[in-house]
Amino acid sequence: MTERIGVYVCHCGHNIAAVGDVEKVAQYAGTLDNVVIARDYKYMCSDPGQELIKNDIQQLGLTRVVVAACSPRMHEPTFKGALERANLNGYLLEMANIREQCSWVTDNTQNATEKAKSLVRGAVRRVYYHRPIEERVVSVNKATLVVGGGIAGIQAALQIAEAGHKVYLVEREASIGGQMAKFDKTFPTMDCAACILTPKMVAVSQSPNIELLTYAEVAQVDGYVGNFTVTVRQKPRYIVEDLCTGCGDCTTACVLKNRIPDAFDEGLSKRSAAYISFPQAIPLKAVIDEKECLLLTKGKCSKNCVEACSREAIDFSQKETVRRIEVGSIILATGFELFDARKAPQYGYGIYDDVYTGIEFERLTNASGPTQGKILTKRGEEPKSVAILHCIGSRDENYQKYCSRVCCMSSVKFAHLVKEKTDAEVFEFYIDMRTFGKQYEEFYTRVQEEGVNFIRGKGAEVAKVDGQLVVRAEDTLLGAYREIPVDMVVLNTALVPRHDAEKVAQIFGISRSEDGFFLESHIKLDPVTTSTDGVHIAGCCQSPKDIPDTVAQGSAAAAQSLAVIATGKVKISPISAWSDPAVCAGCRICLGLCPFKAIGFNEEKKVAEINQAVCKGCGSCAAGCPSNAIVVSHFSNQQLLAEIEGVLA
Amino acid sequence: MFLEELLAMPGGEALLKCMQCGTCSGSCPTGYQMDFSPRRLISMIKAGMKQEVLNSAAIWLCASCYTCSVRCPRGIEFTEIMYLLKSMAIKENILPAKHDSSVFYRTFNQIVTETGRMNESKLITNYAMKTDYTRLWKQFAPLGIKLIRRGRVALFPAKIKNRSELKTLMEKARQRGEC
Repeated sequence: MTERIGVYVCHCGHNIAAVGDVEKVAQYAGTLDNVVIARDYKYMCSDPGQELIKNDIQQLGLTRVVVAACSPRMHEPTFKGALERANLNGYLLEMANIREQCSWVTDNTQNATEKAKSLVRGAVRRVYYHRPIEERVVSVNKATLVVGGGIAGIQAALQIAEAGHKVYLVEREASIGGQMAKFDKTFPTMDCAACILTPKMVAVSQSPNIELLTYAEVAQVDGYVGNFTVTVRQKPRYIVEDLCTGCGDCTTACVLKNRIPDAFDEGLSKRSAAYISFPQAIPLKAVIDEKECLLLTKGKCSKNCVEACSREAIDFSQKETVRRIEVGSIILATGFELFDARKAPQYGYGIYDDVYTGIEFERLTNASGPTQGKILTKRGEEPKSVAILHCIGSRDENYQKYCSRVCCMSSVKFAHLVKEKTDAEVFEFYIDMRTFGKQYEEFYTRVQEEGVNFIRGKGAEVAKVDGQLVVRAEDTLLGAYREIPVDMVVLNTALVPRHDAEKVAQIFGISRSEDGFFLESHIKLDPVTTSTDGVHIAGCCQSPKDIPDTVAQGSAAAAQSLAVIATGKVKISPISAWSDPAVCAGCRICLGLCPFKAIGFNEEKKVAEINQAVCKGCGSCAAGCPSNAIVVSHFSNQQLLAEIEGVLA
Repeated sequence: MFLEELLAMPGGEALLKCMQCGTCSGSCPTGYQMDFSPRRLISMIKAGMKQEVLNSAAIWLCASCYTCSVRCPRGIEFTEIMYLLKSMAIKENILPAKHDSSVFYRTFNQIVTETGRMNESKLITNYAMKTDYTRLWKQFAPLGIKLIRRGRVALFPAKIKNRSELKTLMEKARQRGEC
């Protein structure tokens, strides 16, 4: 039987037509075997363009369609739809991408035209062998997994729970709250961070729809959109949560009291081995630090905590627990870390006293912090002058190229707090002042009016001259070199991806952008979905952002997950691999190649068997199979070889 | 155009990325003596102020410590730009009025070309003879003698083998405008 193929060459406005000669490509396509019609059109993806294809299918009896246009990632669904409206199976389409790697990468008309012809030739030969495939529709598990209990994850979890659906909120630390819980005030309104965050944290703990798993991490994700199986490892707290009232008696009784650097206070204060992260912790339950506790590390301790606990909540026999959770979609809100200022030694961090990072300064000004909210130098004195340095590790090719977005505003906030709490002179060293959000510029103006010295020039170095800290910089507006003696320096460090972002991306099967943050589907139009259907991202794990933007993304990711729940069913790609048991030699090579663990081994028949529901059709097994037993639908050897021969002909 | 001329030279191509943050000027150990700071020189280059830049004392004050290059957030190797500016100034015969440091660079080049090695005693002697020979005993000798005694500086220059080959090499480089 012969096929009747239609070829449609798109101008894409000037995108393709300005370089490649689309009319020549269409003329040429008309001469190829089995092609009954070849047309070019200004915008093939427009309604009239799609109508053209639909009418040709119906009037000329086309059985296969080739669209030479952009990347299939852009418009393959569009043209599949056009075929289906003409009662032709969507998989009888092939797209030749004559834009991204063709007209966009050259300004040579002849080369672009010749390459486009080759690609069209390959597509025409390939499409001849296409077979109709039916989409698979599966039902959706209505529960959602949210990973990360910072403000982004809290927002997403609350929103889904309010809509009446089950949420599992997994948090690595002993309490939810994330970085925001450490902050003192929030710009531009100077609301106390705890005052606006803790009501949401309490709402999480009280929501009947949210199951909170703190001190826990996701170890493995199996399945696909609608039906994920997630393995969660929960570390032992050595405290029976149901019995603990959060009274704190164990923390005061602990023999290591005031001896362990408190990570929540950025190491500026000391805590016990038994501790509660912070006064508003959710859940408000103690935890015993297994890396520090004498009984757990050395096996010997007077166990004062056990004696002090009237509820008998301490249980040193607890072990790590592993749970399997079934969910339909996942929201990753794993947040950020801060740039290690030791990597830029010219700023004296870790070398001189009274050189702090921004997050340390947050703890210094926080009422529950190491100085009860007083801004004091290490000697316990109020500073007479404070320098605040922007862009430490940001906008810098030696460290992070990108702008961390929040530091200009938080620096202005720090300046305001110093002015409010002390009589110190404040010097801010900045490259460009980026106060772009709602009410941000107004806040900057307000702090200028408070008499802060804004110096346009990046702080070049921090030195100690005769026991006095000095900041060296060029005041670029004055054109003068300045050396300003100060008592305290605040380095506003860059927001960077978490150190284990690569591992997390692997577990959830998503990609990262060049800067190391998680990669969204589209930087402008699809900011919270990823390349894996059903895995959404929110907050600073995607890129540095302030609280308003983080909350907005939390809600956006919740909306994406709610959309999965609302439809109740999801279409999953029908492209999958199949192993022919008559050919399979039972060598098991494919088992190790499959990244999705979709292949099992049938011991009785001694052959590999592929689970169609788990298979994503990546083709690794088919390429690796030494006996050619595995066929991937829509990517058969016949189809691929025809395409290659066509391109090279 | 001045800017285009520099952009075409190796090391000059990054100039356009400058965001005028002043890290170079704030880090420069001799910057406080310069008539124009490194950051300002870049601005002037971009504005096409060739005569002002080449006549500036700043380009002769760079101590080649490379701190600006190491710290520049935009990856501009300004020390290299300073060399380019000095060599342009020499070609146009724009030389600093006092303590002609262009003579220093030329003397340095000459000794290396001749012997294949650098010898500080010879460099300073020749440099002083060509500029102000009284500086030899007024300024340089007291420190020089100390350094020679401690073995930090050799009195007589060492020489490499096959110096004629080196000479040919340097001549080729000179013809290509690379030194």
